[in-house]
Amino acid sequence: MSILESIVLLGAALLVVGMAFPVISRNLAVALSLQAAGVALIGSSGALVLFGAQAIGAEFRNSLDPALGIDGLTGFFLATLALAAVPALIFSRDYLADANRSRPLVALCGLFLISLIGVVVARDPSLFLASWELMTLVPATATLVRRNDATVRHAVYVYLAVTHLGGVGVWICVLALAHYGAIGDPAALAAHGTAPQAFIIAMAIVGFGTKAGLMPLHSWLPRAHPVAPSHISALMSGVMIKVALYGLIRALFEWAAPPPMWVGFVILGLGLISSLGGVLYALMQRDLKRLLAFSSIENVGIVALGLGASILFSSQGDTTWAAIAFVAALLHIVNHAVFKTLLFLVAGAFERAVGSLDLDQIGGLLRRMPWTGGAFLVGSMAIAGLPPLNGFASEWLTLQALIHMAIGPSLGLGVAGAIAAAGLAATAALAVFCFVKLVGLVLLGPARRAEVERAVEAPTAMKGAVMFLAGCCVALGAVPGLLISSLMQLAPQPQSLAAEPGLAIPATGSLPSPWLLFGVLALTALFWRLRGSRRSAPVPSWASGQRIEPSLSWRSAGFTKPLRLTLEAVFRPQREIVALREHGQLQSLRYRNEIPHLFDTLLYRPVQRGALRGALIARRLQSGSVRAYAAYLLALLLALLVLTRIGAIG
Amino acid sequence: MNAIAGAIQLIGGLALAPLLPGSIQALKARLQGRRGPSPLQPYRELRRLWGKSSVDPQPTTLIYRLAPCLVAAAMALSLFLVPIAGLSPNWPLGNDAIVLVGLFALARFALAASSWDTGSGFGLMGSSRDLTLSVFAEALLVLALILAVLPVGSTDLIAMSSAANGSAVWSQPAHWCAAAAFGLVVLFETGRQPIDNPDTHLELTMIHEGPLLEYAGRDLALLQWSAAARHWIILVLAAELYLPHWGGFGARLACLVGGIALLCVTLAFTETAQAKMRILRAPALLGGGCLLALVGLISWLVS
Repeated sequence: MSILESIVLLGAALLVVGMAFPVISRNLAVALSLQAAGVALIGSSGALVLFGAQAIGAEFRNSLDPALGIDGLTGFFLATLALAAVPALIFSRDYLADANRSRPLVALCGLFLISLIGVVVARDPSLFLASWELMTLVPATATLVRRNDATVRHAVYVYLAVTHLGGVGVWICVLALAHYGAIGDPAALAAHGTAPQAFIIAMAIVGFGTKAGLMPLHSWLPRAHPVAPSHISALMSGVMIKVALYGLIRALFEWAAPPPMWVGFVILGLGLISSLGGVLYALMQRDLKRLLAFSSIENVGIVALGLGASILFSSQGDTTWAAIAFVAALLHIVNHAVFKTLLFLVAGAFERAVGSLDLDQIGGLLRRMPWTGGAFLVGSMAIAGLPPLNGFASEWLTLQALIHMAIGPSLGLGVAGAIAAAGLAATAALAVFCFVKLVGLVLLGPARRAEVERAVEAPTAMKGAVMFLAGCCVALGAVPGLLISSLMQLAPQPQSLAAEPGLAIPATGSLPSPWLLFGVLALTALFWRLRGSRRSAPVPSWASGQRIEPSLSWRSAGFTKPLRLTLEAVFRPQREIVALREHGQLQSLRYRNEIPHLFDTLLYRPVQRGALRGALIARRLQSGSVRAYAAYLLALLLALLVLTRIGAIG
Repeated sequence: MNAIAGAIQLIGGLALAPLLPGSIQALKARLQGRRGPSPLQPYRELRRLWGKSSVDPQPTTLIYRLAPCLVAAAMALSLFLVPIAGLSPNWPLGNDAIVLVGLFALARFALAASSWDTGSGFGLMGSSRDLTLSVFAEALLVLALILAVLPVGSTDLIAMSSAANGSAVWSQPAHWCAAAAFGLVVLFETGRQPIDNPDTHLELTMIHEGPLLEYAGRDLALLQWSAAARHWIILVLAAELYLPHWGGFGARLACLVGGIALLCVTLAFTETAQAKMRILRAPALLGGGCLLALVGLISWLVS
């Protein structure tokens, strides 16, 4: 047994002990620390494999006897998982300290992590599918343990229903791959022609796409993430949907490889819809966690843009750019894991401090919670794709890939690339819009509620965890190049690239990110010095001579109004104003404004209605009488006999 | 040569930039039959503001005071990225076009955050409009840049500018489309009519001026310099990538000066001849630019 294998086993043992610990003891800090240590050990071994250590464990196999192993891609996802999960576990030490039912929550958190790790280290279909199911069920349980009123039950029901319907795709895909002996051996599938491959790929896109939250299969995501406890939502958004992307990458780029060109167009199209749709709906949300959930859809869309571009480049034989686009997707996966975990954790800290997460009712938290608030600001700037933070690096790389697809020579790819590049640029601008709104409503301006005035800074563990993640946002933004050369080895056709701190990609003007970070900081400091600290007179903000009352202050709806009006055809907002008059005098005004989720009203509701109607018809067959059922069996038997007789089956 | 180009990058951006909005204003006044301010007026404004004390709207945080410095830093960094006459010394910052887009977004974020910090309606109105239009403008900018990348296959601004050198590119319809599309970007980024009106402080119409309302003293001076530097960067970019230029460094430098002068005159003319359009109509204009750019791309790909 190699040293690396023993480290992984030690980590797994610590994780299991940490999971079981709450059963015997009340001391949750120990349980969480054990879990964190276990995940950290497993994640660092994953990172070692990624950075060139020998792969450990078994190879992929098609038989059903369980096997585990870590190769480069698994190592990358394990490292990403640890980067998000360790801070989340440390955070929950204080977050769960005074929560009710915290013991089962801690145990479930450990089980959730085991299932997530299980999916990425599984080397056979049975373990993969078992972990996959567990990964779906555990967060649902954790959500219900925490709260189980009607809204939460409904959200969890939708989550389970949609992910299980989609999960059928995963089962079919993995079992069909095992049937053809294609897991770990793409040549096996190629021997059977294109039809099985197309079927398996379609199933993979439906199955893994649902879990990853690609539009239009995303319906569960904005419902499930807001109701889960914050550390679980952080793991769901930061890690679980990445594990689904892991499945998609394995299926498309390894087991069913090489994917035909239409797959590239499909993934690119889904990515474009998800990124634009996700951020547009995120912009219109009033609940902080729901906004973050929609923004996860956007980021999965950006990853899908990279993956789609990679497939299309491969189909053109451009292996260099195929690898760069693939790496852009991976880089965005790790970046999103970092800043989305950060934002969800801070959302938990804010919820604990001020009670509700209604964006219009917070305000001014930066003054009261400077450390967590500062981390939230860094995370928001990173997710908005602003230089010199990490979100910019991966979006820059994705945009470069799309631009190089747009410049030809093929007409179809060129137009697709140009539209996708313009869509990504618009997505980035919308993300700036969305997150400056978020920062403004939550951190800046006056407090909008009395509870907010009394908010205090979060305890040390929570503060430390989010500040660590903010540091990761800066570090990954400063030196993404150190990661790139290893990630290049994971691409379908590995390419070599000189290791540099910045991103020196051929045929671009290069992104020397350390210098960019230095430049922004140094010049800001320079201008700060030049500005000097002159006396400045305190005055109220100018509002044409009026005072800015909290009830008159700007809210989410007002700030996004120009965009809502511009895109009225897309959003189809509904508003209702009821004026109550008596004796010619206005007594009261009632105003309601809603942005319906078009995927729900135009897609899911008709499907749901159709399913219910079908069920009503099918119910007529269910008379409840035993004789009728015996007759059905007889009819079936006869039908089968007839079919055998005429040679249709058998 | 590189050293001269580097010197012009910095001196031009830092010192000459205020001349651009100043001369546009002066020329516009002439066209409208007024005497108007001298082209040097922005310098006087900056000197006056630099000496004044500032005010501190309550309740604001550090973000409000940091925003002008961050905006100015983003603009100052952008100066290093844009080559002059196709040359730029080997600054360690590279010359990538998309990094420029990112730095502009950073400035926009900082300014919008500052208006949330004051909570004043004027600033928020301006920045919400600015951000709404930026969605369309950024897509248009990327498409226009793609068209300029076509002949050279790289997003390096030096290579892109060299590819636009000479008369060969003008035989491509794509280049004409690119020039027209980038013209709309120029109108948006410099805050000119018909998209924005730089002369007004009416809340019904203003976009870029809105978030500046609360600032005074050196903060306002930094922001006004940043607005001038934004003019400089966008106009130099337009002249380098989308306007005709020929020959070696000297000739191209002359072409650059001519191109910037031409753009200033054109802006003064459009400001005089065009009424401001409704804000909600502007996205359609920018979207039309996107379609034009796509047509240009298709014309290149089929030929």
